[in-house]
Amino acid sequence: MLRPDPMSTSAPPVHTSADTPPRLLRVLDAITEISGRSTAWLTLIMVIATVTVVVLRRLFGIGSIGLQESVTYMHAAVFLLGAGYALKHGAQVRVDVLYRRFSRRSQAWIDAIGAIVFTLPFAIFVGWISLNFVTGSWQVAERSTDAGGLAYVYLLKSLVLVFAVSLTLAALAELVRASWTLIAGPQASAGGAHHVN
Amino acid sequence: MLIEFLPLWMFALVCLVLMLGYPVAFTLAGVALLFAGGGIIAGVFDPALLQTFPSRIYGIMSNYTLVAVPLFVFMGVMLEKSRLAETLLGNMARACGRLPGGLGLSVILVGAMLAASTGIVGATVVTMGLMSLPTMLRHGYHPSLATGTICATGTLGQIIPPSIALVLLGDVLSSAYQQAQLRLGVLNLQTVSVGDLFVGAVIPGLLLVGLYIIYLLAVARLAPQKAPSLPQDLDSDADLPSAPTGGRLWLSLVPVLVLITLVLGSILTGVATPTEAAGVGAMGAMILAAGQRQLNRERLLDVMRSTTRISAMIFTILLGASLFSLVFRGFGGEELIHELFNNLPGGHIGALLVVMLVIFLLGFILDFIEITFVVVPIVGPVLLAMGIDPIWLGIMIAINLQTSFLTPPFGFALFYLRGVAPDSVATADIYRGVAPFIALQLCLLAALALWPQLVTWLPSVMR
Repeated sequence: MLRPDPMSTSAPPVHTSADTPPRLLRVLDAITEISGRSTAWLTLIMVIATVTVVVLRRLFGIGSIGLQESVTYMHAAVFLLGAGYALKHGAQVRVDVLYRRFSRRSQAWIDAIGAIVFTLPFAIFVGWISLNFVTGSWQVAERSTDAGGLAYVYLLKSLVLVFAVSLTLAALAELVRASWTLIAGPQASAGGAHHVN
Repeated sequence: MLIEFLPLWMFALVCLVLMLGYPVAFTLAGVALLFAGGGIIAGVFDPALLQTFPSRIYGIMSNYTLVAVPLFVFMGVMLEKSRLAETLLGNMARACGRLPGGLGLSVILVGAMLAASTGIVGATVVTMGLMSLPTMLRHGYHPSLATGTICATGTLGQIIPPSIALVLLGDVLSSAYQQAQLRLGVLNLQTVSVGDLFVGAVIPGLLLVGLYIIYLLAVARLAPQKAPSLPQDLDSDADLPSAPTGGRLWLSLVPVLVLITLVLGSILTGVATPTEAAGVGAMGAMILAAGQRQLNRERLLDVMRSTTRISAMIFTILLGASLFSLVFRGFGGEELIHELFNNLPGGHIGALLVVMLVIFLLGFILDFIEITFVVVPIVGPVLLAMGIDPIWLGIMIAINLQTSFLTPPFGFALFYLRGVAPDSVATADIYRGVAPFIALQLCLLAALALWPQLVTWLPSVMR
């Protein structure tokens, strides 16, 4: 069962100078937001490319392995680059039976500790363990094993490292956001992008 | 003893930690890493196993079947945000409103169509709740009946194809089936595909909708005050869109029906792969929205970004669950489960009952995605090696979970409806309302257990 996306329309918070978020947080959020919004265009291109593949094959009998593989590439890019973006917008599913009853302070504690113990180690682990996997692919300029396939498998595999970096940045942002809530009081970050319905 | 049962401890601990409410994907991955780290230090976990994780990630990235997921999400979000269902419900209500229980009937039919076209359960419950609950209440429907109908109909997205849940389940089951056959030493490997699961879900899905309708019409006949027919002069009703004519009903109904038929038909007949059909469906949804003058730049951006967040969420859980099951296996979890199942009384029926009960209970705290990615890969190969049909198992799991999502006090569908229901509806009303529908679900599960042909017959004919 999929949940409805919690972030559809949220008014930008109005900050006075006293509760302006830390500079670091604003920079991290901007990176995640810009990369997420750019990645989102790929979903539309995927739809168009898939239909093109179908039309070419069914109507004109032209197989286009390259175009079909490019859809797979875009799909991988969407979820790997979108992971941090989803985290920022509170779209990463939580078991919120208890969570939504906690005070904002307790929620901030859970988010801060979770970022340190779970998300950051996971992101760094993925980057570290995949390093040889990716460089090995670059060394042989790995290409698709299918005839007519794309010659950019090394680029596709590099997305795993991009995922590790972008998730690390998004998790750092969540850590800063939660710590800021704990230090500056629960009102500080209320109205921010990170909310749970 | 402690080491031997380590995988079970790991599973229990992750369930506990999940209750704190940190995002599921990262909790699964983080707990797995902590256990792996501890195991490496204690010398009971082989660190080389972790080296296989990058190729697992790559396997997920390059899995062509799973490309259907973002495309189906795109289609569902587009249909949801372009308010197509609202027009449809208004027109249906006018067409059958004068029958006893007619409004409820249109809610079930539109909900089933919406479920088929979006496959997003939470969205269906919320949309149907916002659209139809106020109207049903205002026309004198009993709050229990109204809320029960909406909740039950909303969860149909789980089972009626093309459902995203079945795409994910189909992919997991197909690799579980391969493993089961390898374990049995079968040389001539059989496969099971997402399409097979879709075909298998057709008859049970229709049966379920049929059962809902029979129940509703029976209530309308036996207790007319709970489901009154609408008054003649509907035009004074500001809530429903204007001017009902037969033509208008068809005009709003036909495009949606064509879209569903096209998408589903091309998958079922094997003309298109699920991924291709999903792409065409997403394009069709865009054209429909544009045709209704509901597509502008803002909405398109909204749909694209929503699609990105939802599919990222699904696949991040898949990555986390994949690391979790890697570590679970590394500690010998699979052999442990195998051993436990073989020692259960009642052979494969006993094992199946236990699994179904566990999945039902897990459905209270975990979503379909987590259960599909975490539990099914662990128990699937063992059950399938006992000779259980993979398509039948998939459908049983899907309906079981759907029932779990309806069951008070933890069912997800109930939370969603509670969120959008007016305060005049008591939570107890919702609980009472879903009870008969839960009974219907259980009847269907029992029927499928007694006559597995209800699931397996259609796929065997279509092959």
